Amino acid sequence: MIRRRARRGMALAAALTAVTLLAAGCSGAAESEGGTVDRTLNVWAGSATPIAANFNPYAPTVLHGALGPVYETLFFFNKAGSGDPEPMLGESFAWNEDGTVLTITIRAGVKWSDGEDFTVDDVVYSLTNEVGKSPQLVSAEATDETTVVVTYDSPQFTNESAILGGAWMLPEHIWADKSVEEATTWANEAPVGTGPYTVKSVSEASYTLVANESYWQEGKPAVKEVRYLGIDANASAEDLLKSGDLDWAGMFVPDPEGVAAAGGPAGYVNTPQDPTVLYTCANADLGCEGPQTDVAVRQALNVAIDRGTINEKAFVGLAATISPTFALLGRDDQWIAPDVEKESPQTGDPEAAAAILEEAGYTKDADGVYEKDGVKVELSLTSVEGWTDYNDAAKLIAEQVSAAGIKVTATTATWQEFSDSRVSGDFQLIMGGIIGTSVADPFQIYRDWFSGEYTQPVGTELEPGEWNFTRYSNPLVDAAVAEAAAASDEQIKTDAYAEIQHEITRDLPYIPLVINATQTFYNDTEFTGWPTDEDLYAFPPSWGSVSAGYILANLEPVE
Amino acid sequence: MRYYLRRAAFYAITVWAAISLNFLIPRLMPGDPADIMLAKMARSGEVTPGVERTIRLLLGSDTDQTMWEQYVAYWGNLLRGDLGVSVTKFPTPVVELISAALPWSIGLLGLATIISFVLGIAAGAWIGWKRGTWVDHIIPGSTLLQSLPYFWVALLLVYGFAVVNPWFPRIGGYDVFTFDGPQASWVFAGSVAYHGVLPALTVVLSSFGGWLLGMRNMMVSTLSEDYITTAEAKGLRRSRILLGYAVRNAALPSIAGFGISLAFVVTGAIVMEQVFTYPGLGKLMITAVQGNDFALMQGLFLVITLTVLAATFLMDIVYGFVDPRTRHNG
Repeated sequence: MIRRRARRGMALAAALTAVTLLAAGCSGAAESEGGTVDRTLNVWAGSATPIAANFNPYAPTVLHGALGPVYETLFFFNKAGSGDPEPMLGESFAWNEDGTVLTITIRAGVKWSDGEDFTVDDVVYSLTNEVGKSPQLVSAEATDETTVVVTYDSPQFTNESAILGGAWMLPEHIWADKSVEEATTWANEAPVGTGPYTVKSVSEASYTLVANESYWQEGKPAVKEVRYLGIDANASAEDLLKSGDLDWAGMFVPDPEGVAAAGGPAGYVNTPQDPTVLYTCANADLGCEGPQTDVAVRQALNVAIDRGTINEKAFVGLAATISPTFALLGRDDQWIAPDVEKESPQTGDPEAAAAILEEAGYTKDADGVYEKDGVKVELSLTSVEGWTDYNDAAKLIAEQVSAAGIKVTATTATWQEFSDSRVSGDFQLIMGGIIGTSVADPFQIYRDWFSGEYTQPVGTELEPGEWNFTRYSNPLVDAAVAEAAAASDEQIKTDAYAEIQHEITRDLPYIPLVINATQTFYNDTEFTGWPTDEDLYAFPPSWGSVSAGYILANLEPVE
Repeated sequence: MRYYLRRAAFYAITVWAAISLNFLIPRLMPGDPADIMLAKMARSGEVTPGVERTIRLLLGSDTDQTMWEQYVAYWGNLLRGDLGVSVTKFPTPVVELISAALPWSIGLLGLATIISFVLGIAAGAWIGWKRGTWVDHIIPGSTLLQSLPYFWVALLLVYGFAVVNPWFPRIGGYDVFTFDGPQASWVFAGSVAYHGVLPALTVVLSSFGGWLLGMRNMMVSTLSEDYITTAEAKGLRRSRILLGYAVRNAALPSIAGFGISLAFVVTGAIVMEQVFTYPGLGKLMITAVQGNDFALMQGLFLVITLTVLAATFLMDIVYGFVDPRTRHNG
């Protein structure tokens, strides 16, 4: 009895071992083929497993493949360069005098991937449905077969890119009967779009798009299949990139040369977009507390910081120079007023910082820290735990400004604490980001991040859509923002921006540090047509909304 | 019989307590999932007012309901097998996510745990049997492996056998470059097994040392028992003494431990799955915690607690059966 049971156990163990060995032996068969002309393009756009099929552009968990490859916008705005919007589903557009009426002519002959025609009704639906419509929209009407007239209650010049380059064109014949709730919660697993691709299959590990054979641009897309992978760790993605398994990825790699050297794709482009700054709770009138509410302290911090060292040590030299005007250098140069500082100083100047403080009436105490009216210039600087580049930069700043008699204590906080404090205004200094604008115009930053209408008193949480964490409020800036919003004339806009720039480069509610790197790696030996440094026709990362579809349509496999 | 009834009642109460705790804990945690999701999206740069409204709509918590009403509704849903909808993987139901991940976790970790157990017990028995000879030197080595953290072993294996020598795949539960999704074919099964080698090796390497040490120590003390001497005096075959007398008794504590460790298989080796992008439950757990995805978290905790309880219950029953002493002394 005893013996028999023991033997059965042994048999089980042997069987298990055999299964494992057998399985390992099969391995050769699973090698993926490569090098053929029609091979699938493998993309990582940041998705992690398990992937849940969701191609509803209004859903927050929408997959990247829906935004550009499947659904398109009326026009394509190049976030990476200046220049006119490229006609897509729209052919032309015109504003009325005061920017409240927009007339759009649409492209004829475009078909949805289910064979129906793309019509003005689709445009009207896409612009007026409860979920997608702009809060300023009054009406949208089709006046003939190819023309849509959209009316707004206020000038919309500055929202041009959001309306024409951001509103997804959805098929009215499928979406029209969806309620608001359905429109946001529907997973839309088999999307019908006008874009260059349609969905072939979705699994928890990847999803595959296949060329839309009736795409309106003749002969495009030349790459017939695109596979989006789910990868859980950045390190894994980096390994796959280096081994050449990924053809296109937009991700941070500290040593970009190493990718090609290890056998990965050789194409590389860095397109810095989003500013990294120090948020300062700047406005004592709205309840901010601490030395940073004094503009002299902010100015002193601004000159004491050694940006070159911060870029070198914390951002591995990949970040770009920032302009205190928050116009993106190179792209938005035309908007920078001639009489403001174009670039933030790249080296620290503790003497100049000390001079600013002394002029403002500060005196140095025994510890070498400046004080005024018995209040020492001691500040706390918070960064989010685990964002190591920000943590390092914060430590460097604390070191650098101590030479100027300013004491900064760098601490870390969880994401939740960070979020709570910036939304409620309960902070002195925070290492944070500003979202770069999606067109060659800094307006959106001026309005959303600097204007007094986009903030709340300390202790009151900012409303969704309000980004002015610093509580900065300056009537001159607010007036200039309003003026620019209503301006169709470039000169009026330039003047208004100059006004804003004078104010914000002096007041420095956000102390500019660097522009974050946005790295893109692509396989240019097997596929051509990528945006490069010489020809940045589109924002290159694989996760770029709208632009990813535009790029994919332009790619061609190398014969 | 009374023994089994008592155990059953005890477990019923434990299940109720676990499920209630499972309801309570996420509601005591700080943080608003809508804010977190918005900020995450803002990090990558694209939040239109439309998307923002959507998120508020989806995640705005219904605070009009009292705790008690929520609790009752929670039980109702639970009994219908409805664990809610995941927020981070919207709009996939939690049940679907878990049932997709469960086979992978059970398949890989279950198998790896069994291999590790069998290997550890066999090696432990052998080393205990040959105590005092050179084989004792194996113990420090295996204990060292045991003390290495899972993720470290995983990273070393990745580095050695997937990056420097690309013999094994880097990510996934199957070849994602060939298959668009799971399918029922031998090639696919082979791919699954091939992709499981490194993750399984990670688990085996870092856990078999514990079984080995425990088994070897029990062997040593069992071998000094009188009945072993008696068996030897009777002139029984050595192999019979080893398997029928020594191993059978020495393995008892390990078998109890095995029940527990099988139950923990469902929690997945969280970091290991992250390293290999393996589609198991551990990976889901990270996703849920990072995204404040309460529904998914609750679903996972439920599955885990129920499995742990079921496994210990089973072991209790089996133990009462195998070892009559447990039935009479309680």
